[in-house]
Amino acid sequence: MGNGNQLHRLQSMTAALVGLFFFNAIIGVFGLRLAIAGLAAFVLGAVAVSVAFPVQGAES
Amino acid sequence: MKLDPSIIARIQFAFTVSFHIIFPTMSIGLAFFLAVIEALWLKTQKSVYLEIYKFWLSIFAMGFGIGVVTGIVLSFEFGLGFARFAQMAGPAIGPLIALEVLTAFFLEAGFLGIMLFGLHRVGPKLHFFATCMVAIGTLISASWILSANSWMQTPDGVAIHDGHLTVLSWRHVLVNPSWLYRLPHMLTAAYLTASFMVAGVGAWYLLKGKHQHFARTTLALGTAFGTVLIAGQVFIGDILYGTMLKYQPSKMQAAEGFWEKQSQSPAPYYWFIIPDQNNQRNRFQLGIPYLGSIWLTHSLDGRVEGLRNTPRDLQPRMGMVFYAFRIMYGLAMVMFAAGLASLWLRFRGKLFSSRWFLWILVFMTPSGIIATLAGWYVAETGRQPWVIYGILRTVDAISPVPAKALLSTLIAFVCVYAVFITAFLVFAFRIIRRGPGEVPPHAEASGSVKNAFRPYVLDSPERLVNSSITQRS
Repeated sequence: MGNGNQLHRLQSMTAALVGLFFFNAIIGVFGLRLAIAGLAAFVLGAVAVSVAFPVQGAES
Repeated sequence: MKLDPSIIARIQFAFTVSFHIIFPTMSIGLAFFLAVIEALWLKTQKSVYLEIYKFWLSIFAMGFGIGVVTGIVLSFEFGLGFARFAQMAGPAIGPLIALEVLTAFFLEAGFLGIMLFGLHRVGPKLHFFATCMVAIGTLISASWILSANSWMQTPDGVAIHDGHLTVLSWRHVLVNPSWLYRLPHMLTAAYLTASFMVAGVGAWYLLKGKHQHFARTTLALGTAFGTVLIAGQVFIGDILYGTMLKYQPSKMQAAEGFWEKQSQSPAPYYWFIIPDQNNQRNRFQLGIPYLGSIWLTHSLDGRVEGLRNTPRDLQPRMGMVFYAFRIMYGLAMVMFAAGLASLWLRFRGKLFSSRWFLWILVFMTPSGIIATLAGWYVAETGRQPWVIYGILRTVDAISPVPAKALLSTLIAFVCVYAVFITAFLVFAFRIIRRGPGEVPPHAEASGSVKNAFRPYVLDSPERLVNSSITQRS
């Protein structure tokens, strides 16, 4: 149980750090090219997750 | 007490336009959402999409109606409170507003009736076409209005002789420097508004354990759209920030809360300030070190320009612009975080069972509207003291009308709009409380005037599904 919680926290922190990187990449902190690449990666990732993991009971 | 007509005229316009923008934002977003939902229904034939369509169609119809009525008021207010502005800017923005009526309103008016009442009267493909035409109409309408407002922000293509404005290039008036970025920024804001609205209502039903199938589908769709859109919005917003820094530096200087001509290096990103406009300094400021340089100059040690770079009599009020910008930007970051969390929960298969996240989505239901309003406050208060940036000051644009006349119309607007918003909220909450697919007894035609004023989700889903199946068979 304890290990499960720790793993969950670690996963959440990793997701937050990855999100922070994408947020800054998208607002152009790392240059326009990386901003466009960050935007494309984020959008493709979001679409891929939405399509690959259809939520149970929903029609999407 | 002596009333200042320029202040009352500005309060009146601020009140009416703030009220108005809520409804077109919802209409633009919901029209697009409805078009997607109807396409999904036509493709999959799953009745849940029809339920979603009809449920949101009722709310869209109310918002659309109030949006049109309150929009017409604004045109009249140009003459009522800002006659000198209308006289001067008329040659440039008059045709744009007229073209909005000729193109967008006519298109919407032609197809809105079919969209609202034709679901079981015309074929499904024609009905879908009508929905798409209404959605395109809202988009065209936004394009003309954003063009007119962007021209006021970054005027181009005109010459001024003896106080009279002449259009030299319609192309430059229409496609002025900020329009290309402000239009997608506004449209994305509208689509985000709809996404978080539908996700929030879906989350509410899940928390209450009602309408599970409907709720799960709307929540899944709303969060998926919202996640993709917010990333694009952040990107567009950053490009727009750079454009406004070039064409309207005073607005962005006020938005960042710095007074010094050059900030310290590295610059912090302020989240809270108590500005003292008279002494051109902050009484108190609280920020995150380095973040100002990183976000605003895209470097670790960049300096940010402060408001003292703008002459005192041409400065906007810092407090208003700063906090409106923080609300808009802060909400964008919360939306971004919510989008990421939804992806993670979807990946883990816990999107519908994480009650903490569902509550967050419920509280975020109006986040798009609040962020859009805040964005417009940045745009309009940051442009001050100009009504047409660099050309006409707001104080010089006011009508020669007594302050008491403006005050009386302001009171009238407040009273009438209070009725509008109360009616909208009462009916919208009633529709949400009732839920999809449940038709109250008074929904059937009875000839009663009292019943005619009661809201209901158009027709019963079973009847419509049966009807559409009959039409196809």
